[in-house]
Amino acid sequence: MKKRNRRKFMSITLPLLLLAAVMLAGCSSSSSGSGSQTVKLAYVAWDSEIASTYVVKEVLESKLNKTVELLQVDAGPMFAGVAGGSADAMVAAWLPSTHASYMEKYGKDLEDLGANLDGTKIGLTVPAYMKVDSIEDLNGSAVADSLDHKIIGIEPGAGIMSATEKALKDYKLDGYTLVESSSAAMAQELQKAYDANQPIVVTGWTPHWMFANMDLKYLSDPQGVYGGDEQIHTLARKGLNDDQPDVHQFLDQFQWTPDDMAQVMIAIQGGQSPEEAAKAWVESNPDKVMKWMAGIE
Amino acid sequence: MNIPKLPLGRLVEKLEEWLTLYFGPVFDFIHSVIGGMVEGIEAVLTFLPALVVILLITALAYWIGKWRLALFALIGLLLIDNLGLWGPSMQSLALVLAASVLAVLIGVPIGILCAQSGKARNIVTPVLDFMQTMPAFVYLLPAVSFFSLGVVPGVIASIIFAIPPTIRLTNLGIRQVSSELVEAADAFGSTPNQKLFKLQLPIAMPTIMAGINQTIMLSLSMVVISSMIGAQGVGAYVYRAVSQAKTGAGFEAGLAIVVIAILLDRMTQNALKIKHK
Repeated sequence: MKKRNRRKFMSITLPLLLLAAVMLAGCSSSSSGSGSQTVKLAYVAWDSEIASTYVVKEVLESKLNKTVELLQVDAGPMFAGVAGGSADAMVAAWLPSTHASYMEKYGKDLEDLGANLDGTKIGLTVPAYMKVDSIEDLNGSAVADSLDHKIIGIEPGAGIMSATEKALKDYKLDGYTLVESSSAAMAQELQKAYDANQPIVVTGWTPHWMFANMDLKYLSDPQGVYGGDEQIHTLARKGLNDDQPDVHQFLDQFQWTPDDMAQVMIAIQGGQSPEEAAKAWVESNPDKVMKWMAGIE
Repeated sequence: MNIPKLPLGRLVEKLEEWLTLYFGPVFDFIHSVIGGMVEGIEAVLTFLPALVVILLITALAYWIGKWRLALFALIGLLLIDNLGLWGPSMQSLALVLAASVLAVLIGVPIGILCAQSGKARNIVTPVLDFMQTMPAFVYLLPAVSFFSLGVVPGVIASIIFAIPPTIRLTNLGIRQVSSELVEAADAFGSTPNQKLFKLQLPIAMPTIMAGINQTIMLSLSMVVISSMIGAQGVGAYVYRAVSQAKTGAGFEAGLAIVVIAILLDRMTQNALKIKHK
Protein backbone atom coordinates (compact mmCIF):
# COMPACT_ATOMS: atom_id res chain seq x y z
CA MET A 1 0.00 0.00 0.00
CA LYS A 2 2.74 2.38 1.05
CA LYS A 3 4.76 1.57 -2.03
CA ARG A 4 1.80 2.24 -4.31
CA ASN A 5 1.20 5.58 -2.72
CA ARG A 6 4.80 6.54 -3.22
CA ARG A 7 4.57 5.56 -6.87
CA LYS A 8 1.46 7.63 -7.34
CA PHE A 9 3.13 10.57 -5.66
CA MET A 10 6.12 10.24 -7.95
CA SER A 11 3.97 9.91 -11.06
CA ILE A 12 2.31 13.21 -10.25
CA THR A 13 5.34 15.17 -9.06
CA LEU A 14 7.82 14.10 -11.73
CA PRO A 15 5.97 15.68 -14.66
CA LEU A 16 5.40 18.80 -12.57
CA LEU A 17 9.10 19.01 -11.74
CA LEU A 18 9.94 18.57 -15.41
CA LEU A 19 7.51 21.33 -16.32
CA ALA A 20 9.04 23.63 -13.72
CA ALA A 21 12.54 22.89 -15.01
CA VAL A 22 11.43 23.58 -18.54
CA MET A 23 9.87 26.88 -17.50
CA LEU A 24 12.99 27.92 -15.61
CA ALA A 25 15.11 27.07 -18.62
CA GLY A 26 12.82 29.21 -20.73
CA CYS A 27 12.93 32.17 -18.38
CA SER A 28 16.70 32.10 -18.06
CA SER A 29 17.27 31.75 -21.79
CA SER A 30 15.01 34.69 -22.57
CA SER A 31 17.03 37.15 -20.52
CA SER A 32 19.76 38.00 -22.98
CA GLY A 33 23.05 38.47 -21.24
CA SER A 34 24.92 39.97 -24.19
CA GLY A 35 25.40 43.68 -24.61
CA SER A 36 23.69 44.10 -27.98
CA GLN A 37 20.10 45.32 -27.99
CA THR A 38 17.37 43.43 -29.80
CA VAL A 39 15.27 44.99 -32.53
CA LYS A 40 12.05 43.29 -33.57
CA LEU A 41 10.85 43.92 -37.11
CA ALA A 42 7.45 42.76 -38.33
CA TYR A 43 6.86 42.14 -42.02
CA VAL A 44 4.51 40.46 -44.48
CA ALA A 45 5.66 37.71 -46.82
CA TRP A 46 5.48 39.74 -50.03
CA ASP A 47 8.61 39.80 -52.15
CA SER A 48 9.00 43.57 -51.91
CA GLU A 49 8.71 43.51 -48.12
CA ILE A 50 11.03 40.50 -47.75
CA ALA A 51 13.66 42.40 -49.76
CA SER A 52 13.45 45.63 -47.74
CA THR A 53 13.11 43.97 -44.32
CA TYR A 54 16.15 41.75 -44.83
CA VAL A 55 18.24 44.70 -46.04
CA VAL A 56 17.25 46.67 -42.93
CA LYS A 57 18.12 43.65 -40.78
CA GLU A 58 21.52 43.30 -42.46
CA VAL A 59 22.34 46.99 -41.86
CA LEU A 60 21.18 46.90 -38.23
CA GLU A 61 23.34 43.84 -37.56
CA SER A 62 26.48 44.75 -39.50
CA LYS A 63 26.58 48.52 -38.89
CA LEU A 64 24.80 49.06 -35.57
CA ASN A 65 25.67 45.73 -33.94
CA LYS A 66 22.06 44.90 -33.02
CA THR A 67 20.40 41.54 -32.68
CA VAL A 68 17.46 41.52 -35.07
CA GLU A 69 14.43 39.30 -34.70
CA LEU A 70 12.14 39.07 -37.73
CA LEU A 71 8.44 38.27 -37.38
CA GLN A 72 6.76 37.23 -40.60
CA VAL A 73 3.05 37.83 -40.01
CA ASP A 74 -0.15 38.86 -41.74
CA ALA A 75 -0.83 42.52 -42.56
CA GLY A 76 -3.39 43.15 -39.78
CA PRO A 77 -1.30 41.58 -37.00
CA MET A 78 1.74 43.51 -38.31
CA PHE A 79 0.00 46.83 -37.65
CA ALA A 80 -1.48 45.63 -34.35
CA GLY A 81 1.92 44.37 -33.20
CA VAL A 82 3.86 47.57 -33.91
CA ALA A 83 1.04 49.71 -32.48
CA GLY A 84 0.98 47.59 -29.32
CA GLY A 85 4.75 47.69 -28.99
CA SER A 86 5.44 43.96 -29.36
CA ALA A 87 7.39 44.76 -32.53
CA ASP A 88 9.61 47.83 -32.82
CA ALA A 89 9.02 48.79 -36.43
CA MET A 90 8.07 47.75 -39.96
CA VAL A 91 9.16 48.99 -43.37
CA ALA A 92 6.11 47.57 -45.15
CA ALA A 93 3.18 49.99 -44.87
CA TRP A 94 1.60 50.79 -48.26
CA LEU A 95 0.09 54.24 -47.92
CA PRO A 96 -2.11 56.16 -48.43
CA SER A 97 -4.62 53.67 -49.82
CA THR A 98 -3.71 49.96 -49.64
CA HIS A 99 -3.37 49.84 -45.86
CA ALA A 100 -5.73 52.76 -45.15
CA SER A 101 -8.11 50.66 -43.03
CA TYR A 102 -5.29 49.59 -40.70
CA MET A 103 -4.06 53.18 -40.34
CA GLU A 104 -7.55 54.21 -39.33
CA LYS A 105 -7.53 51.74 -36.46
CA TYR A 106 -3.90 51.82 -35.31
CA GLY A 107 -2.53 55.07 -36.73
CA LYS A 108 -2.76 56.97 -33.44
CA ASP A 109 -0.41 54.48 -31.76
CA LEU A 110 2.20 54.52 -34.53
CA GLU A 111 4.96 56.90 -35.51
CA ASP A 112 5.16 57.43 -39.26
CA LEU A 113 8.81 57.85 -40.27
CA GLY A 114 7.87 58.73 -43.84
CA ALA A 115 8.33 56.94 -47.15
CA ASN A 116 11.19 54.50 -47.65
CA LEU A 117 10.25 53.87 -51.28
CA ASP A 118 8.60 56.14 -53.82
CA GLY A 119 7.07 55.23 -57.14
CA THR A 120 5.00 52.19 -56.54
CA LYS A 121 2.19 51.82 -59.02
CA ILE A 122 -1.22 50.16 -58.98
CA GLY A 123 -3.61 49.50 -61.84
CA LEU A 124 -5.28 46.95 -64.06
CA THR A 125 -2.68 44.58 -65.49
CA VAL A 126 -2.84 42.29 -68.53
CA PRO A 127 -0.41 39.98 -70.32
CA ALA A 128 1.51 41.82 -73.09
CA TYR A 129 0.04 39.53 -75.76
CA MET A 130 -3.46 40.97 -75.25
CA LYS A 131 -4.77 43.50 -77.80
CA VAL A 132 -6.06 45.99 -75.21
CA ASP A 133 -4.06 49.01 -74.11
CA SER A 134 -6.43 51.17 -72.13
CA ILE A 135 -9.14 50.49 -69.55
CA GLU A 136 -11.61 51.93 -72.06
CA ASP A 137 -10.81 49.05 -74.45
CA LEU A 138 -12.44 46.60 -72.03
CA ASN A 139 -15.83 48.00 -73.00
CA GLY A 140 -16.40 45.89 -76.14
CA SER A 141 -18.66 42.87 -75.71
CA ALA A 142 -16.19 40.62 -77.53
CA VAL A 143 -13.46 41.51 -75.06
CA ALA A 144 -15.82 41.13 -72.12
CA ASP A 145 -16.92 37.69 -73.34
CA SER A 146 -13.34 36.52 -73.80
CA LEU A 147 -12.63 37.56 -70.20
CA ASP A 148 -15.78 35.86 -68.93
CA HIS A 149 -16.80 39.31 -67.57
CA LYS A 150 -14.30 38.93 -64.74
CA ILE A 151 -11.51 41.03 -63.33
CA ILE A 152 -9.41 39.02 -60.88
CA GLY A 153 -8.79 40.96 -57.68
CA ILE A 154 -7.07 40.37 -54.34
CA GLU A 155 -8.12 40.59 -50.69
CA PRO A 156 -11.34 42.57 -50.13
CA GLY A 157 -10.54 45.77 -48.27
CA ALA A 158 -7.24 46.47 -50.03
CA GLY A 159 -6.98 49.96 -51.49
CA ILE A 160 -6.56 48.63 -55.02
CA MET A 161 -9.94 46.89 -54.74
CA SER A 162 -11.91 50.02 -53.89
CA ALA A 163 -10.04 51.88 -56.65
CA THR A 164 -11.04 49.15 -59.11
CA GLU A 165 -14.69 49.33 -58.02
CA LYS A 166 -14.52 53.04 -58.78
CA ALA A 167 -12.89 52.35 -62.16
CA LEU A 168 -15.73 49.96 -63.11
CA LYS A 169 -18.20 52.78 -62.38
CA ASP A 170 -16.26 55.61 -64.04
CA TYR A 171 -15.49 53.66 -67.21
CA LYS A 172 -19.06 52.23 -67.28
CA LEU A 173 -17.84 48.63 -67.32
CA ASP A 174 -21.23 47.41 -66.06
CA GLY A 175 -20.87 43.87 -67.35
CA TYR A 176 -17.81 43.11 -65.23
CA THR A 177 -17.55 41.65 -61.76
CA LEU A 178 -14.48 42.20 -59.63
CA VAL A 179 -13.62 38.80 -58.16
CA GLU A 180 -12.38 38.94 -54.56
CA SER A 181 -9.61 36.43 -53.83
CA SER A 182 -6.14 36.82 -52.38
CA SER A 183 -2.81 38.12 -53.64
CA ALA A 184 -1.51 34.59 -53.95
CA ALA A 185 -4.59 33.26 -55.75
CA MET A 186 -4.57 36.21 -58.14
CA ALA A 187 -0.93 35.59 -59.05
CA GLN A 188 -1.65 31.89 -59.50
CA GLU A 189 -4.61 32.61 -61.77
CA LEU A 190 -2.53 35.06 -63.81
CA GLN A 191 0.32 32.57 -64.21
CA LYS A 192 -2.11 29.88 -65.34
CA ALA A 193 -3.73 32.11 -67.95
CA TYR A 194 -0.32 33.41 -69.07
CA ASP A 195 1.07 29.91 -69.57
CA ALA A 196 -1.99 28.99 -71.64
CA ASN A 197 -1.92 32.25 -73.60
CA GLN A 198 -5.44 33.08 -72.40
CA PRO A 199 -6.81 36.62 -71.93
CA ILE A 200 -7.02 37.81 -68.32
CA VAL A 201 -7.23 41.10 -66.40
CA VAL A 202 -5.94 41.36 -62.83
CA THR A 203 -5.43 44.08 -60.26
CA GLY A 204 -1.66 44.52 -60.27
CA TRP A 205 0.97 46.59 -58.53
CA THR A 206 4.69 47.23 -58.65
CA PRO A 207 7.03 46.24 -57.11
CA HIS A 208 5.81 42.67 -57.60
CA TRP A 209 7.61 39.55 -58.80
CA MET A 210 4.98 38.82 -61.44
CA PHE A 211 6.55 41.53 -63.60
CA ALA A 212 9.90 39.74 -63.40
CA ASN A 213 8.37 36.36 -64.29
CA MET A 214 5.97 37.39 -67.06
CA ASP A 215 5.71 39.94 -69.84
CA LEU A 216 2.86 42.14 -68.56
CA LYS A 217 1.58 45.67 -69.12
CA TYR A 218 -0.58 48.14 -67.22
CA LEU A 219 -3.74 49.32 -68.99
CA SER A 220 -3.57 53.09 -69.39
CA ASP A 221 -5.93 55.01 -67.15
CA PRO A 222 -6.98 58.21 -69.00
CA GLN A 223 -9.41 59.23 -66.26
CA GLY A 224 -6.79 58.86 -63.55
CA VAL A 225 -8.83 56.61 -61.26
CA TYR A 226 -5.66 54.91 -60.00
CA GLY A 227 -4.16 58.39 -59.94
CA GLY A 228 -2.22 58.75 -56.73
CA ASP A 229 0.89 56.65 -56.79
CA GLU A 230 1.49 54.91 -53.51
CA GLN A 231 4.51 54.96 -51.27
CA ILE A 232 5.85 52.35 -48.89
CA HIS A 233 6.27 53.84 -45.43
CA THR A 234 8.35 53.00 -42.39
CA LEU A 235 6.29 52.88 -39.19
CA ALA A 236 7.70 52.59 -35.67
CA ARG A 237 6.16 52.04 -32.28
CA LYS A 238 5.75 55.11 -30.08
CA GLY A 239 8.75 55.44 -27.81
CA LEU A 240 11.37 53.76 -30.01
CA ASN A 241 13.26 57.07 -30.12
CA ASP A 242 13.70 57.04 -26.33
CA ASP A 243 14.91 53.43 -26.08
CA GLN A 244 17.03 53.08 -29.20
CA PRO A 245 17.63 56.49 -30.80
CA ASP A 246 20.21 55.06 -33.22
CA VAL A 247 17.72 52.54 -34.61
CA HIS A 248 15.06 55.22 -34.81
CA GLN A 249 17.35 57.56 -36.74
CA PHE A 250 18.47 54.85 -39.17
CA LEU A 251 14.87 53.80 -39.88
CA ASP A 252 13.98 57.46 -40.39
CA GLN A 253 16.83 57.83 -42.91
CA PHE A 254 16.26 54.48 -44.65
CA GLN A 255 15.15 55.16 -48.21
CA TRP A 256 15.76 53.48 -51.54
CA THR A 257 14.37 53.19 -55.08
CA PRO A 258 12.27 50.57 -56.86
CA ASP A 259 15.41 49.68 -58.84
CA ASP A 260 17.38 48.97 -55.66
CA MET A 261 14.55 46.84 -54.37
CA ALA A 262 14.23 45.02 -57.69
CA GLN A 263 17.92 44.00 -57.52
CA VAL A 264 17.32 42.25 -54.20
CA MET A 265 13.98 40.76 -55.32
CA ILE A 266 15.47 39.31 -58.51
CA ALA A 267 18.41 37.84 -56.58
CA ILE A 268 15.94 36.10 -54.26
CA GLN A 269 13.81 34.95 -57.23
CA GLY A 270 17.02 33.53 -58.72
CA GLY A 271 17.42 31.22 -55.76
CA GLN A 272 19.54 33.18 -53.25
CA SER A 273 18.36 33.19 -49.64
CA PRO A 274 16.99 36.56 -48.50
CA GLU A 275 19.97 36.91 -46.12
CA GLU A 276 22.50 36.36 -48.91
CA ALA A 277 20.73 38.71 -51.32
CA ALA A 278 20.48 41.47 -48.69
CA LYS A 279 24.14 41.05 -47.68
CA ALA A 280 25.29 41.23 -51.31
CA TRP A 281 23.26 44.38 -51.95
CA VAL A 282 24.52 46.12 -48.80
CA GLU A 283 28.12 45.26 -49.68
CA SER A 284 27.84 46.54 -53.24
CA ASN A 285 26.05 49.80 -52.30
CA PRO A 286 28.23 51.30 -49.55
CA ASP A 287 27.48 54.91 -50.49
CA LYS A 288 23.73 54.45 -50.08
CA VAL A 289 24.20 52.66 -46.77
CA MET A 290 26.52 55.47 -45.62
CA LYS A 291 23.73 57.97 -46.29
CA TRP A 292 21.34 55.99 -44.07
CA MET A 293 23.97 56.02 -41.34
CA ALA A 294 24.68 59.76 -41.52
CA GLY A 295 24.92 61.40 -38.12
CA ILE A 296 24.34 58.25 -36.07
CA GLU A 297 26.63 58.08 -33.05
CA MET B 1 -39.88 44.59 -38.93
CA ASN B 2 -38.12 47.83 -38.13
CA ILE B 3 -35.39 46.97 -35.67
CA PRO B 4 -32.20 48.94 -36.36
CA LYS B 5 -28.99 46.94 -36.79
CA LEU B 6 -27.73 45.90 -33.38
CA PRO B 7 -24.36 47.48 -32.50
CA LEU B 8 -22.76 44.08 -31.86
CA GLY B 9 -19.54 44.89 -33.69
CA ARG B 10 -19.12 48.14 -31.78
CA LEU B 11 -19.71 46.36 -28.47
CA VAL B 12 -17.04 43.77 -29.26
CA GLU B 13 -14.51 46.48 -30.14
CA LYS B 14 -15.33 48.34 -26.91
CA LEU B 15 -14.88 45.11 -24.98
CA GLU B 16 -11.53 44.52 -26.68
CA GLU B 17 -10.34 48.03 -25.72
CA TRP B 18 -11.61 47.64 -22.17
CA LEU B 19 -9.89 44.27 -21.70
CA THR B 20 -6.63 45.60 -23.11
CA LEU B 21 -6.82 48.53 -20.71
CA TYR B 22 -7.76 46.82 -17.46
CA PHE B 23 -6.57 43.23 -17.78
CA GLY B 24 -3.03 44.06 -18.90
CA PRO B 25 -1.32 42.56 -15.80
CA VAL B 26 -3.32 39.32 -16.08
CA PHE B 27 -2.43 38.97 -19.75
CA ASP B 28 1.21 39.77 -18.97
CA PHE B 29 1.32 37.01 -16.36
CA ILE B 30 -0.22 34.47 -18.77
CA HIS B 31 2.21 35.71 -21.41
CA SER B 32 5.28 35.09 -19.27
CA VAL B 33 4.10 31.64 -18.14
CA ILE B 34 3.30 30.40 -21.65
CA GLY B 35 6.28 32.15 -23.18
CA GLY B 36 8.62 30.55 -20.67
CA MET B 37 7.09 27.15 -21.29
CA VAL B 38 7.43 27.29 -25.08
CA GLU B 39 10.94 28.70 -24.93
CA GLY B 40 11.92 25.99 -22.44
CA ILE B 41 10.62 23.16 -24.64
CA GLU B 42 12.28 24.76 -27.64
CA ALA B 43 15.56 25.12 -25.74
CA VAL B 44 15.47 21.42 -24.85
CA LEU B 45 14.72 20.42 -28.46
CA THR B 46 17.32 22.67 -30.08
CA PHE B 47 20.06 22.44 -27.44
CA LEU B 48 21.19 19.03 -28.70
CA PRO B 49 22.32 18.46 -32.28
CA ALA B 50 19.54 17.41 -34.65
CA LEU B 51 20.94 13.87 -35.05
CA VAL B 52 20.93 13.24 -31.28
CA VAL B 53 17.33 14.45 -30.99
CA ILE B 54 16.35 12.26 -33.95
CA LEU B 55 17.89 9.20 -32.31
CA LEU B 56 16.20 10.02 -28.98
CA ILE B 57 12.79 10.36 -30.61
CA THR B 58 13.41 7.15 -32.59
CA ALA B 59 14.23 5.32 -29.37
CA LEU B 60 11.07 6.71 -27.78
CA ALA B 61 9.06 5.60 -30.81
CA TYR B 62 10.53 2.09 -30.50
CA TRP B 63 9.67 1.98 -26.80
CA ILE B 64 6.10 3.17 -27.39
CA GLY B 65 5.29 1.52 -30.68
CA LYS B 66 7.09 -1.11 -32.64
CA TRP B 67 10.06 -1.12 -34.97
CA ARG B 68 7.77 0.14 -37.72
CA LEU B 69 7.01 3.39 -35.89
CA ALA B 70 10.70 3.74 -35.00
CA LEU B 71 11.67 3.34 -38.65
CA PHE B 72 9.12 5.93 -39.70
CA ALA B 73 10.40 8.33 -37.03
CA LEU B 74 14.00 7.89 -38.18
CA ILE B 75 13.28 8.35 -41.89
CA GLY B 76 10.72 11.12 -41.44
CA LEU B 77 12.88 13.19 -39.11
CA LEU B 78 16.00 12.71 -41.24
CA LEU B 79 13.93 13.95 -44.20
CA ILE B 80 12.93 17.08 -42.27
CA ASP B 81 16.57 17.70 -41.40
CA ASN B 82 17.58 17.09 -45.01
CA LEU B 83 15.04 19.64 -46.27
CA GLY B 84 16.65 22.22 -43.99
CA LEU B 85 13.52 22.56 -41.89
CA TRP B 86 14.82 21.14 -38.60
CA GLY B 87 14.93 24.39 -36.63
CA PRO B 88 11.51 25.68 -37.68
CA SER B 89 10.00 22.21 -37.23
CA MET B 90 11.23 22.09 -33.64
CA GLN B 91 9.79 25.57 -33.09
CA SER B 92 6.42 24.33 -34.32
CA LEU B 93 6.71 21.16 -32.24
CA ALA B 94 7.36 23.25 -29.13
CA LEU B 95 4.28 25.33 -29.91
CA VAL B 96 2.10 22.24 -30.40
CA LEU B 97 3.41 20.49 -27.27
CA ALA B 98 2.89 23.58 -25.12
CA ALA B 99 -0.63 24.11 -26.47
CA SER B 100 -1.51 20.42 -26.02
CA VAL B 101 -0.14 20.17 -22.46
CA LEU B 102 -2.04 23.30 -21.43
CA ALA B 103 -5.19 22.11 -23.19
CA VAL B 104 -5.03 18.81 -21.28
CA LEU B 105 -4.28 20.52 -17.94
CA ILE B 106 -7.25 22.84 -18.42
CA GLY B 107 -9.54 20.51 -20.39
CA VAL B 108 -9.55 17.32 -18.31
CA PRO B 109 -10.69 19.04 -15.08
CA ILE B 110 -13.42 20.90 -16.99
CA GLY B 111 -14.50 17.60 -18.56
CA ILE B 112 -14.67 15.96 -15.13
CA LEU B 113 -16.73 18.89 -13.84
CA CYS B 114 -19.13 18.54 -16.77
CA ALA B 115 -19.48 14.81 -16.09
CA GLN B 116 -20.40 15.44 -12.49
CA SER B 117 -22.80 18.33 -12.94
CA GLY B 118 -25.43 18.70 -15.62
CA LYS B 119 -25.58 22.44 -15.04
CA ALA B 120 -21.88 22.85 -15.79
CA ARG B 121 -22.28 20.79 -18.94
CA ASN B 122 -25.17 22.95 -20.15
CA ILE B 123 -23.05 26.07 -19.72
CA VAL B 124 -19.86 24.64 -21.21
CA THR B 125 -21.30 22.93 -24.30
CA PRO B 126 -22.46 26.07 -26.16
CA VAL B 127 -19.16 27.77 -25.30
CA LEU B 128 -17.31 24.83 -26.86
CA ASP B 129 -19.49 25.02 -29.98
CA PHE B 130 -18.58 28.69 -30.22
CA MET B 131 -14.85 28.00 -29.79
CA GLN B 132 -14.81 25.30 -32.44
CA THR B 133 -16.76 27.13 -35.11
CA MET B 134 -15.74 30.80 -34.78
CA PRO B 135 -13.23 31.22 -37.63
CA ALA B 136 -9.76 31.61 -36.13
CA PHE B 137 -9.04 34.67 -38.25
CA VAL B 138 -11.62 36.59 -36.22
CA TYR B 139 -9.69 36.42 -32.97
CA LEU B 140 -6.21 36.86 -34.43
CA LEU B 141 -6.20 40.63 -33.95
CA PRO B 142 -7.55 40.60 -30.37
CA ALA B 143 -4.99 37.89 -29.56
CA VAL B 144 -2.23 40.20 -30.76
CA SER B 145 -3.51 43.17 -28.77
CA PHE B 146 -3.79 41.07 -25.59
CA PHE B 147 -0.65 38.93 -25.88
CA SER B 148 1.54 40.85 -28.38
CA LEU B 149 3.11 39.32 -31.47
CA GLY B 150 4.97 36.07 -31.04
CA VAL B 151 4.48 32.51 -30.03
CA VAL B 152 2.13 33.21 -27.10
CA PRO B 153 -0.96 34.34 -29.04
CA GLY B 154 -0.32 31.34 -31.29
CA VAL B 155 -0.50 29.00 -28.30
CA ILE B 156 -3.66 30.72 -27.05
CA ALA B 157 -5.34 30.50 -30.45
CA SER B 158 -4.35 26.81 -30.70
CA ILE B 159 -5.78 26.07 -27.25
CA ILE B 160 -9.08 27.78 -28.09
CA PHE B 161 -9.37 25.74 -31.26
CA ALA B 162 -8.05 22.45 -29.92
CA ILE B 163 -9.37 22.09 -26.36
CA PRO B 164 -13.01 21.09 -27.07
CA PRO B 165 -12.36 17.38 -27.91
CA THR B 166 -10.50 16.85 -24.62
CA ILE B 167 -13.37 18.37 -22.64
CA ARG B 168 -16.11 16.60 -24.60
CA LEU B 169 -14.52 13.15 -24.54
CA THR B 170 -13.50 13.35 -20.88
CA ASN B 171 -17.11 14.15 -20.04
CA LEU B 172 -18.37 11.39 -22.32
CA GLY B 173 -15.91 8.78 -21.03
CA ILE B 174 -16.85 9.33 -17.42
CA ARG B 175 -20.57 9.37 -18.15
CA GLN B 176 -20.25 6.06 -20.00
CA VAL B 177 -18.88 4.22 -16.96
CA SER B 178 -21.66 1.73 -16.30
CA SER B 179 -24.05 2.70 -13.55
CA GLU B 180 -23.76 -0.72 -11.85
CA LEU B 181 -20.09 -0.08 -11.18
CA VAL B 182 -20.80 3.39 -9.82
CA GLU B 183 -23.56 2.00 -7.61
CA ALA B 184 -21.22 -0.69 -6.34
CA ALA B 185 -18.61 1.89 -5.49
CA ASP B 186 -21.23 3.95 -3.66
CA ALA B 187 -22.46 0.88 -1.83
CA PHE B 188 -18.98 0.14 -0.55
CA GLY B 189 -18.82 3.65 0.79
CA SER B 190 -16.13 5.13 -1.44
CA THR B 191 -15.60 8.88 -1.28
CA PRO B 192 -16.28 10.88 -4.46
CA ASN B 193 -12.51 11.25 -4.95
CA GLN B 194 -11.90 7.52 -4.61
CA LYS B 195 -14.72 6.87 -7.04
CA LEU B 196 -13.22 9.30 -9.54
CA PHE B 197 -9.57 8.22 -9.39
CA LYS B 198 -9.99 4.50 -8.78
CA LEU B 199 -13.02 3.75 -10.94
CA GLN B 200 -14.23 6.41 -13.36
CA LEU B 201 -10.96 7.81 -14.71
CA PRO B 202 -9.26 4.42 -15.30
CA ILE B 203 -12.29 3.10 -17.18
CA ALA B 204 -12.73 6.33 -19.12
CA MET B 205 -9.01 6.50 -19.98
CA PRO B 206 -9.21 5.20 -23.57
CA THR B 207 -11.93 7.74 -24.39
CA ILE B 208 -9.99 10.55 -22.71
CA MET B 209 -6.85 9.60 -24.63
CA ALA B 210 -8.81 9.72 -27.88
CA GLY B 211 -9.82 13.28 -26.95
CA ILE B 212 -6.23 14.26 -26.14
CA ASN B 213 -5.09 12.76 -29.43
CA GLN B 214 -7.64 14.87 -31.30
CA THR B 215 -6.51 17.95 -29.37
CA ILE B 216 -2.91 17.40 -30.46
CA MET B 217 -3.93 16.96 -34.08
CA LEU B 218 -6.11 20.08 -34.02
CA SER B 219 -3.37 22.21 -32.49
CA LEU B 220 -1.06 21.03 -35.28
CA SER B 221 -3.53 22.27 -37.84
CA MET B 222 -3.20 25.74 -36.30
CA VAL B 223 0.54 26.19 -36.93
CA VAL B 224 0.04 28.03 -40.22
CA ILE B 225 -2.56 30.40 -38.81
CA SER B 226 -0.43 30.92 -35.70
CA SER B 227 2.46 31.99 -37.90
CA MET B 228 0.32 34.90 -39.11
CA ILE B 229 0.52 36.36 -35.60
CA GLY B 230 4.21 35.83 -35.04
CA ALA B 231 4.59 32.19 -33.98
CA GLN B 232 7.39 31.48 -36.43
CA GLY B 233 8.33 27.94 -37.30
CA VAL B 234 7.42 25.67 -40.14
CA GLY B 235 3.98 27.30 -40.41
CA ALA B 236 5.64 30.56 -41.48
CA TYR B 237 7.37 28.68 -44.29
CA VAL B 238 4.04 27.32 -45.52
CA TYR B 239 2.44 30.74 -45.30
CA ARG B 240 5.30 32.41 -47.14
CA ALA B 241 5.23 29.80 -49.89
CA VAL B 242 1.49 30.29 -50.30
CA SER B 243 1.78 34.08 -50.43
CA GLN B 244 4.30 33.71 -53.22
CA ALA B 245 2.54 30.90 -55.09
CA LYS B 246 5.53 28.58 -54.62
CA THR B 247 3.81 25.21 -54.52
CA GLY B 248 7.04 23.24 -54.19
CA ALA B 249 8.36 25.05 -51.14
CA GLY B 250 4.89 24.92 -49.59
CA PHE B 251 4.73 21.17 -50.11
CA GLU B 252 8.14 20.63 -48.47
CA ALA B 253 7.15 22.60 -45.38
CA GLY B 254 3.75 20.93 -45.34
CA LEU B 255 5.44 17.53 -45.44
CA ALA B 256 7.38 18.40 -42.28
CA ILE B 257 4.07 19.10 -40.54
CA VAL B 258 2.66 15.79 -41.79
CA VAL B 259 5.64 13.84 -40.40
CA ILE B 260 5.30 15.50 -36.99
CA ALA B 261 1.54 14.91 -37.05
CA ILE B 262 1.79 11.19 -37.82
CA LEU B 263 4.47 10.72 -35.15
CA LEU B 264 2.46 12.51 -32.46
CA ASP B 265 -0.70 10.69 -33.49
CA ARG B 266 0.76 7.17 -33.38
CA MET B 267 2.66 7.89 -30.17
CA THR B 268 -0.38 9.15 -28.30
CA GLN B 269 -2.50 6.29 -29.63
CA ASN B 270 0.03 3.71 -28.50
CA ALA B 271 0.87 5.31 -25.17
CA LEU B 272 -2.20 3.68 -23.61
CA LYS B 273 -1.37 0.19 -24.83
CA ILE B 274 1.98 0.21 -23.01
CA LYS B 275 0.25 0.42 -19.67
CA HIS B 276 -1.70 -2.70 -20.47
CA LYS B 277 1.33 -4.70 -21.62
